[in-house]
Amino acid sequence: MNNDMARQAARLLLLPTWMVAFAILIKGYSDSGDGFSGGVIAALGVIMQYVTFGTAVAEKLRPVRYARQIALTGLLLALATAFTPVLRGQSIMTHFPGPNEHATHIGSLELTTPFLFDIGVFLLVMGVCVGVFDLLAHATRRDRS
Amino acid sequence: MNATVFLLLAALSAAPLTAAFGAARPSLARPVAILTTAIAFLAALYNAFRPGPAIDKEWAPAWGMRLHLEADGLAVLFALLATGIGLAVIIYSSGYIPLHLHHEHRPEEDQTRFFAFILMFMGAMTGLVMAQDLMLIFLFWDLTAIASYYLIGFDSQKREARVSAFMALIVTGISAVGFLIGALMLDAEFGSFQLPELIASVVPNYESDIALVLILIAALAKSAQVPLHFWLPRAMTAPTPVSAYLHSAAMVAAGVFLIGRFYPLIVLRGWMLDLLLVVGVVSMVAGGLLALTRDNMKQLLAYSTIAQYGYIVTMFGLGGKAGVLGAMFAIIAHGLAKSALFLTAGTVTEATGARELSAVGGLRHSMPLLALASGLAAASLAAIPLTMGFFKDEYFFEAATHHGRLMQVIAVVAAAMTFCYLARFWKGIFGGPILGTVSPVPNVLLAPIVVLGALSLLGGFWPEPFARVASNAGQVSLLSTDELHPAYHLSRTTENIMAALAIGSGVLLFFSRRVWFATVELASDLGEKIGPERAFRAGVLNLNNFSDRIHWIEVRDLRSRVATVLAPAALMVVITLIFTNADSSFELQKPHRDDLTLIMMIGIAAIAGVAAAIPRDHFSMALALSGVGFALSVVFALLRAPDVALVAVLVETLFGVLFFAFLALLPRNVEHADVVPSDEPQELGHHHRVRDSVLAAFGGLLAFLVAWGVLSRPAPVDSVFERYVDLTPAAHGGAIVTVILADFRGLDTMGEITVIGIAFLGIATFIRRRRLR
Repeated sequence: MNNDMARQAARLLLLPTWMVAFAILIKGYSDSGDGFSGGVIAALGVIMQYVTFGTAVAEKLRPVRYARQIALTGLLLALATAFTPVLRGQSIMTHFPGPNEHATHIGSLELTTPFLFDIGVFLLVMGVCVGVFDLLAHATRRDRS
Repeated sequence: MNATVFLLLAALSAAPLTAAFGAARPSLARPVAILTTAIAFLAALYNAFRPGPAIDKEWAPAWGMRLHLEADGLAVLFALLATGIGLAVIIYSSGYIPLHLHHEHRPEEDQTRFFAFILMFMGAMTGLVMAQDLMLIFLFWDLTAIASYYLIGFDSQKREARVSAFMALIVTGISAVGFLIGALMLDAEFGSFQLPELIASVVPNYESDIALVLILIAALAKSAQVPLHFWLPRAMTAPTPVSAYLHSAAMVAAGVFLIGRFYPLIVLRGWMLDLLLVVGVVSMVAGGLLALTRDNMKQLLAYSTIAQYGYIVTMFGLGGKAGVLGAMFAIIAHGLAKSALFLTAGTVTEATGARELSAVGGLRHSMPLLALASGLAAASLAAIPLTMGFFKDEYFFEAATHHGRLMQVIAVVAAAMTFCYLARFWKGIFGGPILGTVSPVPNVLLAPIVVLGALSLLGGFWPEPFARVASNAGQVSLLSTDELHPAYHLSRTTENIMAALAIGSGVLLFFSRRVWFATVELASDLGEKIGPERAFRAGVLNLNNFSDRIHWIEVRDLRSRVATVLAPAALMVVITLIFTNADSSFELQKPHRDDLTLIMMIGIAAIAGVAAAIPRDHFSMALALSGVGFALSVVFALLRAPDVALVAVLVETLFGVLFFAFLALLPRNVEHADVVPSDEPQELGHHHRVRDSVLAAFGGLLAFLVAWGVLSRPAPVDSVFERYVDLTPAAHGGAIVTVILADFRGLDTMGEITVIGIAFLGIATFIRRRRLR
């Protein structure tokens, strides 16, 4: 296999992959896709770097170094979205703005708490996928040596 | 913030604050623990004078669960005990635990763990006593069990400590499940988890009887009543401050608290009071007899706790003003005295190294202050006049008198035994000739005992404030406005005569111990050996063996593992197929021309599926398997489900890559290596092959039948799906799938992503510790 070509492609494709991932996250509420799909795509972009460049290079990427923090942030964000209404005396997972109420929007993106929840899912899924792959990569490398 | 909220927050935040400060700097754990406990105690005191309003917030309205907490009289009593005795115990621990860790050759940082768990205990206890919602009670109830598990097993390097912690957790944990079942039954029958509503609406019937008996069993197990008492004497392996707290203000007290909480429902059935009476009397006598002869100081005290809570349970069983309000008073008197006595045992062991009564003596010369303070506490527990405990026995005698002559006799005998074993305890340590050497102890191991002893004395001269707290608590249980007004009557009242008789026969019992000691000791040893603990041990052992056998069948080899999933699943499907109405299912329809691509893709998936089953090497098997997935995602796309198709493609890609990465972890040529454990025949037996083929064919056939049956059935008319479609625009969404995931069924998603996070931790642990093979 022509390794250089694969590397060039992988490097060129990383940012577009992330852009697609973000697009799917942002469009998620009004179109196909959601935080989960976006998170997996973003993680696949990183995993592509592992496959082509190897562990040593790939783990210098920021999303790899902070994979655990990203996952934790995502989980906490989602849980916070779910539990904040409880503090205000409403039932768990109550979303704002309520049904049919006006929501501030940027283009087709409406700023609502389900979207926030979805961002949490996105971060968690991306962090976990990258984190697990990083762990595996390390385990295999240790085996070879 | 009102007083109730403040008390709750102060008590619940003590443990996390201590843990956080302790983690940052271990030397901070002690001061932070003392400070937070003191604040919680002040909050409880404030609530005793000006109880805050009830907290009542919905948090899961669909299930009728509320954050419903109130600092009523009962809550204030137990919160005062938990935080007040907690404060004494924690101050004592600040001196004791560093010494203890030093003896055990453990690092000083471990004390953070200790303080965090004992404060978690305090927080759970405070939450428990304030909770009015059955689910909330259950939550805090289990939290106390968890905290006690870590505290009893604090010296986890000792096998005995681990066994004791496990025993306490199992006995109180299993009975807690009974509580949960009881709570759910009450909710199913009367439609509420809220105790005040239940008290107003419960009409006793068969279901409520079962529910309340289950709840009572949980309470009695926690209070270490016979026959579920055996965990408590074991639990004394915990560091002494833990025992002091456990016995006087937390774990064991939680049991009688629960009886007090449910008392308005319990009194509806007379036989339940009789049940309490029987259990209480048996515990009182059995605990008393065992305490009479024990040589180990803490063990003696542990059995005396069983007996003393037997007193209290008996008083609940006797009922009425003297019984119930008196029981509350007895809880206070016992808490103060018993914590002081346990702490005394700790200080004595620290000073002399002895744990047995026979190994110490004459300490009155070297530790006069300790002798005085613990003497006051012992006197209070033994109900000597001019101490607080005198009144607890007076109410006990009064309640017994209402119940008849036999109960009077039992009460006097129990009180005499109490006097006798406490006299043995005190005289064994402080009386007699000097035995062994005494090393000086820091003042912090004395001061809390002196304060607790002084309070026991104060309660004898000025019982009014304690009686007020007890009355307020008893009023919650009795739903009345009765009040206690303890005072000395210098006349020949029945209670005075009984008290005199009890102390007199206690003295007689004490001085005649040469006569009966050997017999009672033999009987007690026998009771300890063949008691219910034996049944518990046998039960745990057999359960473990059974589980091991099942486990071995499952994990013997990969085929067995698949079979253990496949066989029960197939069985359940067969049952479902037999009992399902199969009208208009299992029909074949002519394929439509437009479905040609769909059929092609399904065909490809089928071919890939067969290819994956052909054993070659792992790599091609994995490739074929992801071929199935990709073919199926095309099927989803053709069925106009773009969201599902997208997720299918992504998951398939990700899993493919992960799969190959995992394959790299396997040893080379593993598919040809010897995977059968060496004690098994090397060649797979013929019958295994037959079994595996039959199971595979059977499972496959059933899966096919189910798929066919479900797919050929017409879609249900009134599906929830229609409503989802209608509601999606109102929920600010365009894509139904996303709206379902993040909004309609958002709670499910929340649970699932939490699982993902936990799974990540699990994978990380496995890989880091190299446990993958």
